[in-house]
Amino acid sequence: MTGVDEATLAARAGKGDADAFGALIELHQAMARRVAYTILEDREDADDAAQEGFLSAWRAIARYDPSKAFRPWLMQIVVNAARDLRRRRRVRAADSLDTISPASRDNPAREAGDIDLGERLRAALATLPERQRLAVVLFDAEGYAQAEIAALLRIPEGTVKSDVFHGRRALRRVLSTVKEEWDE
Amino acid sequence: MSEHSLFDSAPDAELGAALREALAMPFGAAFVNRACARLRQERPRSWDEELAGWFWQGLVAASLVTLLAGWGLKAFGAVDESDATTVTSAAGQLLDGSTPGANILLASMTAADTP
Repeated sequence: MTGVDEATLAARAGKGDADAFGALIELHQAMARRVAYTILEDREDADDAAQEGFLSAWRAIARYDPSKAFRPWLMQIVVNAARDLRRRRRVRAADSLDTISPASRDNPAREAGDIDLGERLRAALATLPERQRLAVVLFDAEGYAQAEIAALLRIPEGTVKSDVFHGRRALRRVLSTVKEEWDE
Repeated sequence: MSEHSLFDSAPDAELGAALREALAMPFGAAFVNRACARLRQERPRSWDEELAGWFWQGLVAASLVTLLAGWGLKAFGAVDESDATTVTSAAGQLLDGSTPGANILLASMTAADTP
């Protein structure tokens, strides 16, 4: 459900139609949760942030301009919700998280030595600065244009290009290493 | 590894697919149900509620504007006052005796008033 359907749903949601907004949640939940995970590196936190983002968007739906695309507007709110949650979590649980690397938090298989491509990519993402992670995920995985990412993250488009370049370099290294291992 | 260049301005389909898979979150339906349940406990803000949310910010902004306007008026008022001190009134000129012929004029005026 994209294009006109999404615009119609967003317009209906803008008039207070909860069912239409529910359909928008269904449509965008996977992406919103992936983006929230990219920031938070923890599945439970990512779900909390994504849900808070959807609820914030619903509360503020009167501010949504139906003449503009709904997806970037929603994603801006989700990114803000995830960043807010990360700030709160850092203050509350800095000590306990400092002792565990971000990549290992959601990877029970890591200790068993059963590391797949997904785990390696998550581990590689965790080594990147947050802005680079977001830029490469939004661009390559979620299909946002560089100009949209620049507006969403409030950074110049040139910075997005640079972040995508550096992010890709790190992630492609992982992809090629895993492929070589598979070929052996 | 894909043939995609690091400099390409088009999304890298292979990397994108691998990232989507790596970042995929389980239990999508449960998430939607939970979010929708929360959604029904909330309601979107109407325009007047949105405006009410900006009340304090608006009040502070209006106060600042008023203060600035007051300061501006006072500053311009001070200029006017200094201008006024340089232009002495006609009565002042007559009474301070510095204007030539003022004493004659005053004498004639007081004589005219005397019955």
